[in-house]
Amino acid sequence: MLVVGIDGATWKVIDSNLHDLPTFAKLKKEAKCSTITLAQKPWSPSVWCSMFSGKTPEEHGHKDFVQNGRLVRREDIPVQFIWDILHAVGIPVKVLNVPFVIPPYCFNIRFEPVAQGLPIEEHELLEEIQTVTSEALEVLSSNKPELFIVVYTALDRLSHLHWGEPILIDYYKKIDAALGQLLEHDEEFIVISDHGFCSYDEAPIRTLPKRTPKGEIKGDHHPEAILITKNINFSIDQPEDVFYCLKKRFLGL
Amino acid sequence: MDNKDFKTVSIPTTLYKKIEEQIEGTEFSSVEDYIIFVLEEILKEDEDSESALSPEEEELVKERLKGLGYL
Repeated sequence: MLVVGIDGATWKVIDSNLHDLPTFAKLKKEAKCSTITLAQKPWSPSVWCSMFSGKTPEEHGHKDFVQNGRLVRREDIPVQFIWDILHAVGIPVKVLNVPFVIPPYCFNIRFEPVAQGLPIEEHELLEEIQTVTSEALEVLSSNKPELFIVVYTALDRLSHLHWGEPILIDYYKKIDAALGQLLEHDEEFIVISDHGFCSYDEAPIRTLPKRTPKGEIKGDHHPEAILITKNINFSIDQPEDVFYCLKKRFLGL
Repeated sequence: MDNKDFKTVSIPTTLYKKIEEQIEGTEFSSVEDYIIFVLEEILKEDEDSESALSPEEEELVKERLKGLGYL
Protein backbone atom coordinates (compact mmCIF):
# COMPACT_ATOMS: atom_id res chain seq x y z
CA MET A 1 0.00 0.00 0.00
CA LEU A 2 1.19 3.47 -0.87
CA VAL A 3 0.58 6.84 0.80
CA VAL A 4 1.77 9.89 -1.12
CA GLY A 5 1.69 13.21 0.70
CA ILE A 6 1.84 16.46 -1.26
CA ASP A 7 2.43 19.31 1.16
CA GLY A 8 0.18 22.27 0.40
CA ALA A 9 -1.57 20.76 -2.65
CA THR A 10 -4.97 22.27 -3.38
CA TRP A 11 -7.87 21.45 -5.68
CA LYS A 12 -7.98 25.16 -6.57
CA VAL A 13 -4.88 24.74 -8.73
CA ILE A 14 -5.44 21.14 -9.77
CA ASP A 15 -9.03 21.56 -10.97
CA SER A 16 -8.30 24.66 -13.00
CA ASN A 17 -5.29 23.05 -14.70
CA LEU A 18 -6.50 19.48 -15.27
CA HIS A 19 -5.73 19.72 -19.00
CA ASP A 20 -2.03 20.02 -18.07
CA LEU A 21 -2.11 17.46 -15.24
CA PRO A 22 -2.74 14.04 -16.83
CA THR A 23 -2.23 12.02 -13.66
CA PHE A 24 -4.69 14.09 -11.64
CA ALA A 25 -7.11 14.05 -14.58
CA LYS A 26 -6.93 10.25 -14.65
CA LEU A 27 -7.38 10.04 -10.89
CA LYS A 28 -10.43 12.27 -11.11
CA LYS A 29 -12.00 9.61 -13.33
CA GLU A 30 -10.67 6.41 -11.78
CA ALA A 31 -10.19 7.13 -8.09
CA LYS A 32 -12.22 8.65 -5.28
CA CYS A 33 -11.49 12.36 -4.92
CA SER A 34 -12.64 14.56 -2.07
CA THR A 35 -11.76 17.48 0.18
CA ILE A 36 -10.73 17.30 3.83
CA THR A 37 -11.84 20.41 5.72
CA LEU A 38 -9.43 20.55 8.61
CA ALA A 39 -10.82 20.84 12.12
CA GLN A 40 -7.33 21.86 13.25
CA LYS A 41 -5.18 24.81 12.18
CA PRO A 42 -3.71 24.28 8.67
CA TRP A 43 -0.14 24.08 9.92
CA SER A 44 2.18 21.43 8.51
CA PRO A 45 4.04 20.15 11.61
CA SER A 46 0.90 19.42 13.59
CA VAL A 47 -1.18 18.11 10.67
CA TRP A 48 1.42 15.62 9.43
CA CYS A 49 1.96 14.54 13.03
CA SER A 50 -1.78 13.97 13.49
CA MET A 51 -2.03 12.10 10.21
CA PHE A 52 0.43 9.41 11.18
CA SER A 53 -0.09 9.29 14.97
CA GLY A 54 -3.89 9.44 15.08
CA LYS A 55 -3.66 12.21 17.68
CA THR A 56 -5.14 15.68 17.62
CA PRO A 57 -2.72 18.61 18.19
CA GLU A 58 -3.94 18.80 21.79
CA GLU A 59 -3.06 15.13 22.25
CA HIS A 60 0.34 15.01 20.52
CA GLY A 61 1.38 18.52 21.61
CA HIS A 62 3.54 19.10 18.50
CA LYS A 63 2.63 22.62 17.48
CA ASP A 64 5.67 23.93 15.59
CA PHE A 65 8.96 23.11 13.88
CA VAL A 66 10.79 25.19 16.49
CA GLN A 67 9.87 25.27 20.15
CA ASN A 68 11.75 27.06 22.91
CA GLY A 69 14.33 28.21 20.40
CA ARG A 70 15.33 24.77 19.14
CA LEU A 71 14.27 22.50 16.33
CA VAL A 72 11.86 19.83 17.52
CA ARG A 73 13.05 16.28 16.82
CA ARG A 74 11.06 13.09 16.46
CA GLU A 75 12.07 11.91 19.92
CA ASP A 76 10.62 15.09 21.47
CA ILE A 77 7.14 13.99 20.39
CA PRO A 78 5.75 11.32 22.77
CA VAL A 79 3.65 9.33 20.32
CA GLN A 80 3.83 6.06 18.44
CA PHE A 81 3.52 6.66 14.73
CA ILE A 82 1.90 4.08 12.50
CA TRP A 83 5.32 2.97 11.27
CA ASP A 84 6.51 2.34 14.85
CA ILE A 85 3.47 0.17 15.52
CA LEU A 86 3.66 -1.82 12.28
CA HIS A 87 7.42 -2.29 12.47
CA ALA A 88 7.13 -3.57 16.04
CA VAL A 89 4.92 -6.44 14.89
CA GLY A 90 7.09 -7.29 11.91
CA ILE A 91 5.20 -5.60 9.09
CA PRO A 92 7.68 -4.11 6.58
CA VAL A 93 7.21 -0.34 6.40
CA LYS A 94 9.29 2.48 4.95
CA VAL A 95 8.84 6.21 5.31
CA LEU A 96 10.43 8.93 3.19
CA ASN A 97 10.57 12.67 3.83
CA VAL A 98 7.59 13.29 6.14
CA PRO A 99 7.84 16.97 7.18
CA PHE A 100 6.33 16.99 10.67
CA VAL A 101 9.88 17.90 11.76
CA ILE A 102 12.79 19.56 9.97
CA PRO A 103 14.70 17.87 8.42
CA PRO A 104 11.78 15.70 7.28
CA TYR A 105 11.55 12.27 8.87
CA CYS A 106 12.52 8.95 7.33
CA PHE A 107 12.03 5.45 8.71
CA ASN A 108 13.96 2.42 7.46
CA ILE A 109 15.42 4.61 4.69
CA ARG A 110 18.64 6.63 4.67
CA PHE A 111 17.93 9.83 2.77
CA GLU A 112 19.39 13.33 2.83
CA PRO A 113 16.58 15.83 2.19
CA VAL A 114 17.38 18.67 -0.20
CA ALA A 115 18.03 21.92 1.74
CA GLN A 116 17.09 20.08 4.95
CA GLY A 117 13.54 19.74 3.63
CA LEU A 118 13.13 23.48 3.05
CA PRO A 119 13.84 23.95 -0.66
CA ILE A 120 13.24 27.56 -1.69
CA GLU A 121 15.38 28.28 -4.75
CA GLU A 122 14.19 26.83 -8.04
CA HIS A 123 17.09 24.42 -8.42
CA GLU A 124 16.39 23.12 -4.90
CA LEU A 125 12.69 22.64 -5.60
CA LEU A 126 13.50 20.73 -8.77
CA GLU A 127 16.13 18.66 -6.99
CA GLU A 128 13.70 17.74 -4.22
CA ILE A 129 11.14 16.38 -6.64
CA GLN A 130 13.83 14.50 -8.55
CA THR A 131 15.56 12.96 -5.51
CA VAL A 132 12.38 12.04 -3.64
CA THR A 133 10.96 10.45 -6.80
CA SER A 134 14.18 8.60 -7.52
CA GLU A 135 14.40 7.23 -3.97
CA ALA A 136 10.71 6.34 -3.94
CA LEU A 137 10.96 4.48 -7.25
CA GLU A 138 13.96 2.57 -5.94
CA VAL A 139 11.92 1.48 -2.90
CA LEU A 140 8.88 0.57 -4.97
CA SER A 141 10.70 -1.29 -7.70
CA SER A 142 13.35 -3.23 -5.85
CA ASN A 143 12.52 -3.43 -2.17
CA LYS A 144 8.85 -2.68 -1.79
CA PRO A 145 7.53 -2.84 1.78
CA GLU A 146 3.91 -3.60 2.66
CA LEU A 147 3.41 0.09 3.48
CA PHE A 148 5.36 2.94 1.91
CA ILE A 149 4.76 6.58 2.87
CA VAL A 150 6.41 9.39 0.89
CA VAL A 151 5.90 13.16 1.01
CA TYR A 152 6.84 16.00 -1.36
CA THR A 153 7.30 19.48 0.17
CA ALA A 154 8.07 21.56 -2.95
CA LEU A 155 4.55 22.83 -3.70
CA ASP A 156 4.13 24.22 -0.20
CA ARG A 157 7.46 26.06 -0.23
CA LEU A 158 6.74 27.47 -3.67
CA SER A 159 3.17 28.51 -2.78
CA HIS A 160 4.40 30.65 0.13
CA LEU A 161 6.43 32.95 -2.09
CA HIS A 162 5.00 32.41 -5.59
CA TRP A 163 1.24 31.84 -5.23
CA GLY A 164 -0.54 33.00 -8.37
CA GLU A 165 2.59 32.90 -10.54
CA PRO A 166 2.99 30.64 -13.61
CA ILE A 167 5.94 28.86 -11.99
CA LEU A 168 3.57 27.25 -9.50
CA ILE A 169 1.69 25.55 -12.35
CA ASP A 170 4.99 24.31 -13.75
CA TYR A 171 5.71 22.58 -10.44
CA TYR A 172 2.22 21.09 -10.20
CA LYS A 173 3.04 19.54 -13.60
CA LYS A 174 6.29 18.10 -12.21
CA ILE A 175 4.47 16.67 -9.20
CA ASP A 176 1.78 15.28 -11.49
CA ALA A 177 4.44 13.47 -13.54
CA ALA A 178 6.17 12.13 -10.41
CA LEU A 179 2.87 10.97 -8.94
CA GLY A 180 2.06 9.13 -12.16
CA GLN A 181 5.30 7.18 -11.90
CA LEU A 182 4.74 6.23 -8.25
CA LEU A 183 1.12 5.15 -8.65
CA GLU A 184 2.07 2.69 -11.38
CA HIS A 185 3.46 0.54 -8.58
CA ASP A 186 0.33 0.13 -6.47
CA GLU A 187 -3.41 -0.21 -6.92
CA GLU A 188 -4.15 0.57 -3.28
CA PHE A 189 -3.22 4.11 -2.36
CA ILE A 190 -3.94 7.37 -0.57
CA VAL A 191 -2.80 10.70 -2.03
CA ILE A 192 -3.27 13.51 0.46
CA SER A 193 -2.19 17.04 1.35
CA ASP A 194 -1.82 18.43 4.86
CA HIS A 195 -3.68 21.63 3.93
CA GLY A 196 -4.59 23.62 0.87
CA PHE A 197 -3.41 27.06 -0.21
CA CYS A 198 -4.94 30.33 -1.31
CA SER A 199 -3.88 33.90 -2.00
CA TYR A 200 -2.63 35.64 1.11
CA ASP A 201 -5.54 38.07 1.34
CA GLU A 202 -8.18 35.37 0.93
CA ALA A 203 -6.96 33.11 3.75
CA PRO A 204 -9.79 32.34 6.18
CA ILE A 205 -7.17 31.62 8.85
CA ARG A 206 -4.04 33.78 8.95
CA THR A 207 -1.01 31.51 9.54
CA LEU A 208 1.87 33.45 7.94
CA PRO A 209 3.31 36.98 8.20
CA LYS A 210 2.92 39.33 5.21
CA ARG A 211 6.63 39.83 4.77
CA THR A 212 9.69 37.71 5.54
CA PRO A 213 13.43 38.16 4.88
CA LYS A 214 12.82 36.37 1.55
CA GLY A 215 10.21 38.92 0.47
CA GLU A 216 6.45 39.17 0.30
CA ILE A 217 4.37 36.14 1.22
CA LYS A 218 1.95 35.61 -1.68
CA GLY A 219 -0.06 32.65 -0.40
CA ASP A 220 -1.28 31.33 2.91
CA HIS A 221 -2.39 27.93 4.14
CA HIS A 222 -6.04 27.02 3.60
CA PRO A 223 -8.00 24.49 5.68
CA GLU A 224 -9.18 22.51 2.64
CA ALA A 225 -6.78 19.67 1.83
CA ILE A 226 -6.96 17.21 -1.05
CA LEU A 227 -7.74 13.51 -0.66
CA ILE A 228 -7.56 10.86 -3.39
CA THR A 229 -8.02 7.19 -2.59
CA LYS A 230 -8.15 3.97 -4.55
CA ASN A 231 -9.22 0.63 -3.07
CA ILE A 232 -9.37 2.16 0.42
CA ASN A 233 -12.42 1.00 2.34
CA PHE A 234 -12.28 3.50 5.17
CA SER A 235 -13.80 6.93 5.69
CA ILE A 236 -11.13 9.63 5.99
CA ASP A 237 -12.62 12.90 7.22
CA GLN A 238 -9.65 14.32 9.14
CA PRO A 239 -5.87 13.75 9.00
CA GLU A 240 -6.01 11.49 12.10
CA ASP A 241 -8.25 9.08 10.18
CA VAL A 242 -5.30 8.13 7.95
CA PHE A 243 -3.62 6.56 11.00
CA TYR A 244 -6.77 4.60 11.87
CA CYS A 245 -7.22 3.60 8.24
CA LEU A 246 -3.71 2.15 8.12
CA LYS A 247 -4.07 0.50 11.52
CA LYS A 248 -7.30 -1.16 10.41
CA ARG A 249 -5.78 -2.22 7.09
CA PHE A 250 -2.69 -3.84 8.57
CA LEU A 251 -3.75 -4.88 12.07
CA GLY A 252 -7.50 -5.23 11.67
CA LEU A 253 -7.96 -2.93 14.69
CA MET B 1 16.60 -11.10 8.42
CA ASP B 2 12.86 -11.65 8.27
CA ASN B 3 11.22 -9.10 10.57
CA LYS B 4 8.48 -11.59 11.35
CA ASP B 5 10.93 -13.88 13.13
CA PHE B 6 10.86 -13.55 16.89
CA LYS B 7 13.12 -14.81 19.68
CA THR B 8 12.18 -15.26 23.32
CA VAL B 9 14.05 -13.33 25.99
CA SER B 10 13.41 -13.37 29.73
CA ILE B 11 13.01 -10.41 32.03
CA PRO B 12 12.45 -10.35 35.81
CA THR B 13 8.82 -10.74 36.88
CA THR B 14 9.03 -7.55 38.94
CA LEU B 15 10.10 -5.59 35.85
CA TYR B 16 7.32 -7.19 33.79
CA LYS B 17 4.76 -6.09 36.39
CA LYS B 18 6.16 -2.55 36.45
CA ILE B 19 5.81 -2.34 32.67
CA GLU B 20 2.24 -3.65 32.89
CA GLU B 21 1.43 -0.80 35.27
CA GLN B 22 3.30 1.69 33.07
CA ILE B 23 1.35 0.87 29.92
CA GLU B 24 -2.07 0.70 31.54
CA GLY B 25 -4.38 3.11 29.73
CA THR B 26 -1.83 3.79 26.95
CA GLU B 27 -1.90 2.70 23.33
CA PHE B 28 0.56 -0.13 24.02
CA SER B 29 -1.51 -3.30 23.90
CA SER B 30 1.07 -5.57 25.52
CA VAL B 31 4.32 -5.58 27.46
CA GLU B 32 6.03 -7.06 24.41
CA ASP B 33 4.93 -4.13 22.23
CA TYR B 34 6.29 -1.67 24.76
CA ILE B 35 9.65 -3.42 25.14
CA ILE B 36 10.12 -3.65 21.37
CA PHE B 37 9.29 0.06 21.01
CA VAL B 38 11.74 1.13 23.73
CA LEU B 39 14.55 -1.04 22.40
CA GLU B 40 14.03 0.20 18.84
CA GLU B 41 14.25 3.79 20.08
CA ILE B 42 17.47 3.10 21.97
CA LEU B 43 19.04 1.35 19.00
CA LYS B 44 18.09 4.26 16.75
CA GLU B 45 19.86 6.79 18.97
CA ASP B 46 23.25 6.29 17.34
CA GLU B 47 21.76 6.78 13.90
CA ASP B 48 19.85 9.86 15.08
CA SER B 49 22.95 11.44 16.55
CA GLU B 50 24.75 10.90 13.25
CA SER B 51 22.01 12.78 11.41
CA ALA B 52 21.68 15.58 13.98
CA LEU B 53 22.31 19.06 12.62
CA SER B 54 25.31 21.10 13.69
CA PRO B 55 24.58 24.47 15.37
CA GLU B 56 25.49 26.20 12.08
CA GLU B 57 23.15 23.97 10.08
CA GLU B 58 20.38 24.54 12.62
CA GLU B 59 20.78 28.31 12.23
CA LEU B 60 20.53 27.97 8.44
CA VAL B 61 17.35 25.94 8.84
CA LYS B 62 15.89 28.64 11.08
CA GLU B 63 16.75 31.28 8.47
CA ARG B 64 14.87 29.27 5.85
CA LEU B 65 11.90 28.83 8.18
CA LYS B 66 11.88 32.61 8.71
CA GLY B 67 12.08 33.16 4.95
CA LEU B 68 8.98 31.02 4.43
CA GLY B 69 7.14 32.62 7.35
CA TYR B 70 7.15 29.48 9.50
CA LEU B 71 9.18 31.21 12.22
